[in-house]
Amino acid sequence: MKFILQLAVKNLSRYKRRTIITAVAIAVGLMMYIIVDSILRGASLESMRNLRWYETASLRVYAEGYWEDRAFLPLENSIEDPASIMSLVEGEQGVATVRTTFAAEMILYSDDFGENGNMNVKVTAIDPTQDFEVYRFEDTLVEGRFLEPGEMDGLLLGSWFAEDIGAEVGYWVTLLTRGKGGFYEAFDMQIVGIVNCPNPNVNRTLIMMDIAAADTYLGMENSVTSIDILLPEKTDLELAKAAIQAKLPEGLEVFTWKDLAQDYLAIVGAKQGGTGMILFLVFIIAAVGVSNTMLMAMYERMRELGMMRALGMRDRDILLSFLFEAGGIGLIGSVVGIALGSLVNIYLVNTGFDFGFMFRNMDIGFRISSVMRGAWSLSTILKAFSAGIFLSMLVAVLPIRRALKLDIPTCLHHQ
Amino acid sequence: MSKRIIIVLLGLTILFLPVSLFAITAQEIVREMDAQATFETSYATGSIKTVDRFGTKESTFKAWSRGTTDSLIEFTSIAERGQKILRTKGSLYLFYPDAEELIRMQGAALRQSVLGSDLSYEDMTEEKTTLDDYDVTLDGSETVRGRDCHILILTAKTRQVAYPVQKIWVDKETFLTWKGEYATNHGRLLKKMEVLDTLVIDGRTLPKETRIEDAMKSNSATWMMLDTLEVNIPLESNLFTLENLTW
Amino acid sequence: MTIKLPAVAFRNIFRNLRRSILCAVAIAVSAMAIMALLSLLETMETDMATNLTSYYTGEVRIRHAEYEKYERYNPLHLSLDTEAVISVASDVGGVKAATARINFPANLYIDGQNNGAMGVGVDFATEQAFIDFSAIVDEGRIPKPGANELLMGKFLAHDLGLSLGDKVTMLTSTALRGSNAMTFTIVGIASFPVGGLSAKTVYIPIDRAQYLLRMEGKTQEVLLLTEDGYRERDVAQAVETALEEYLSLETETRAWKDLNMMYSFLSIAKFIYYVMGAIFFVLGSTVIINTTMMVIYERIREIGTLGALGMQGKELTRLFLLEGTFISIAGSTLGTLVGVLIVFILSKTGINFTEAMSGVDMEISSILFPRVNWFTALYVWIYAIIISSLSTLIPSRKASKIQIVEALRYV
Repeated sequence: MKFILQLAVKNLSRYKRRTIITAVAIAVGLMMYIIVDSILRGASLESMRNLRWYETASLRVYAEGYWEDRAFLPLENSIEDPASIMSLVEGEQGVATVRTTFAAEMILYSDDFGENGNMNVKVTAIDPTQDFEVYRFEDTLVEGRFLEPGEMDGLLLGSWFAEDIGAEVGYWVTLLTRGKGGFYEAFDMQIVGIVNCPNPNVNRTLIMMDIAAADTYLGMENSVTSIDILLPEKTDLELAKAAIQAKLPEGLEVFTWKDLAQDYLAIVGAKQGGTGMILFLVFIIAAVGVSNTMLMAMYERMRELGMMRALGMRDRDILLSFLFEAGGIGLIGSVVGIALGSLVNIYLVNTGFDFGFMFRNMDIGFRISSVMRGAWSLSTILKAFSAGIFLSMLVAVLPIRRALKLDIPTCLHHQ
Repeated sequence: MSKRIIIVLLGLTILFLPVSLFAITAQEIVREMDAQATFETSYATGSIKTVDRFGTKESTFKAWSRGTTDSLIEFTSIAERGQKILRTKGSLYLFYPDAEELIRMQGAALRQSVLGSDLSYEDMTEEKTTLDDYDVTLDGSETVRGRDCHILILTAKTRQVAYPVQKIWVDKETFLTWKGEYATNHGRLLKKMEVLDTLVIDGRTLPKETRIEDAMKSNSATWMMLDTLEVNIPLESNLFTLENLTW
Repeated sequence: MTIKLPAVAFRNIFRNLRRSILCAVAIAVSAMAIMALLSLLETMETDMATNLTSYYTGEVRIRHAEYEKYERYNPLHLSLDTEAVISVASDVGGVKAATARINFPANLYIDGQNNGAMGVGVDFATEQAFIDFSAIVDEGRIPKPGANELLMGKFLAHDLGLSLGDKVTMLTSTALRGSNAMTFTIVGIASFPVGGLSAKTVYIPIDRAQYLLRMEGKTQEVLLLTEDGYRERDVAQAVETALEEYLSLETETRAWKDLNMMYSFLSIAKFIYYVMGAIFFVLGSTVIINTTMMVIYERIREIGTLGALGMQGKELTRLFLLEGTFISIAGSTLGTLVGVLIVFILSKTGINFTEAMSGVDMEISSILFPRVNWFTALYVWIYAIIISSLSTLIPSRKASKIQIVEALRYV
């Protein structure tokens, strides 16, 4: 047995060119499979990710009664002691931040905007130090700067919103709203920064200000309208929701992003089906590539096989040695393929490919990012790995067995 | 004073008591104003005109009221014909001729504006009297439209009132509020109100034409005009009921 | 040495059938997979385009000239005269169908709660050309004109706990900047191929919408479908001119591809598809190149022999190139045809795209039917031939440079 193994290994290095070409075929096939699978998964996860990264987080805590009236953004149903709730939540492996969202009228003036105007807007007051732990706005700044904690008159706008109204950093607007209890309040704010958020829906409507400032203007007295929680990606949401709900005092409710997403369904949904078919096609092409090269490699060795038989090696041993060799090529190819595929995937998953340049001037209302990201799938990698090896061995078996059935002289004369 | 204007719209007139000729305190002035609380009953017809970025809109109505708590408005202009708003027992109900049920307005929905005007449903449901909500100080006098008026500064006691600061000009004789400026805590002017024309009924002087202007937005104003007003008339006992609304 | 190269090449192919077959199969499978993929992508793209033009914008959309400027205020009063506009537009060359629609945000008042939805007033008769309502109605039927009846999306009905026969009151702002409410009976529940529509929309007869919104005789938009062979932009231009000429009416008349909001979504999808396609092409090409290279290396001895016999350099290269080309043609043709066959079969059976909506337990199953596109087939056929022929070039040239002695050494 050891001999056969050694034979196989030696053969691998003897026929380097063949080994390399075949392994390359396998590697490329697997790499493509992994990449395609990653892109497809990434695309299907994209809209949900966009929601969680920029709009809903994983879970949200609201005060009782808020959810029913959420269309009106009622400040009266607010969370009274957010600090204590935060510490409860953080024990559950999540990161949390406070937010206060309110409806207002934004009043524009002709000095900056060319003409007077007003529009109904939704303003999100954030904690500039903590918000980035939960939401991913950190990398999205395109002009100006982020908010500073305690900043009383700074505003951050989504880039599409800014474009829509013709706003630039430095412009002043007035926000007219009702504080907690119902009293009117108006405060002047200056646009200090513009963010380009990959979530188009957010990008079109985002207005952010500092939560301490909002607290003062709106008379919140340290209460907030929501506590937004981010959990690690693979967490079981329902479990986490139940766990946190159990810990919360009376009068607070927990919602998962799926509950929140109900209001946010995409207007034109991308067809999810068809990904299976695409993967299947990739597999076919890859399989053909592997089979072909392996078959040719084996047929090349026909005379060698005849020689081995003539020298008295048992059919079974010959088969095994070729099998190991094929398996070896398969292994090399698989490893390289997985490695390359993973490398590309690292880039795809973390950075992604930004095709936003195509859509600068376009106005989309859906949760599609302009960055194409991939997604990891251990099962896909394992499947690809084992398929590479298995397929190579399988494909090698057939010609070898055929050859073993022929008489030795025919083998030796094989061209 | 905006609350008062609405109550007028609902057909309430001001009961006016003779005023003492000696120095009068701010609280007393307000009490006089508020004492124009209610007629027992009233019936009025009038119109609301709103101007905004899209132009002018005018609606006509009939309004009945009883005390401070019950009122009924029925719109008579074509665009809203047959629509009614009933206020009773602290709730607000809307009736639409083509709807088979009543719409109840509550909570945050009350903050929406009526017919796109500068008035909200919430304005129509306020029940508390001015002194409950505001601290009042007297700040001298000024002449408005040829009438000598007290100037009062009202500061909100709680956060539950829409206008934290009000400055009103109250006629020294008739206790009619001629002018009002409504502002935020920081003195930011939100709305301006002015009475342009008056009528006298039952010995009281009431606003006949009032204009409310949104001070924060340009080109946004609402006019309210009373055409007729009858007070303390007999009204059907079931006028302010839900059943009557759907009839 | 004067030999007829093509003849030699041809014979060589049959001399080693196994090898030739392997090569041809590799090419065929790649061609077939690419063909299948492109058809699949085309189908999805067409489906999306159809959804956009049927449910949202038509192929040409006509609106009041100032509507867009005030769009955020939902200015229903900036409307069009329905009959006049439709009649003028329909007479313009290239216009196949026209329909009027009114989109308005509505509140469904249920148990004291307001639930936001999108109301759409449509003329169900003229809509047949745009939306096949009878095909998407799951339960019940299409509302009748003149009746206070509505058609509700499946998810919306589910969310609100409503079913056929229930009545619901719809509250909305009117074109006269007042408000109005009307009670409707749910006579139909529909599953739209676009999930969002099933979740948020309510369709009512347009005459009732006009009554509800106080816009008698008016409509918010008129949508057009264009005849085959006409470019949408041209038709839009023609209609806009016609409306100005005959009605002295300035409008915003645009082809759907110019309505950024919708079309850009399609562009994103297209881009993803192109990336997929590119990956497939690379993979397919790699397979082809790999195979042909192996073939060349296999024949090193043969090359040596030929060289010894006097065939070298350019002639050799040309020989191998010819062989490669013949095999490519065979393989590509086979692969493309098989690909076409597969698409043809699927065009009869359909591909099942079942969509699970996030946040909802329900699914909308939809079946797409691909269509055989001969242009795509041609494209794939040519591409496969070129790639495989070219990929014999490099190893052929390498082979031709091998010294005879070296080659003969490879036993």
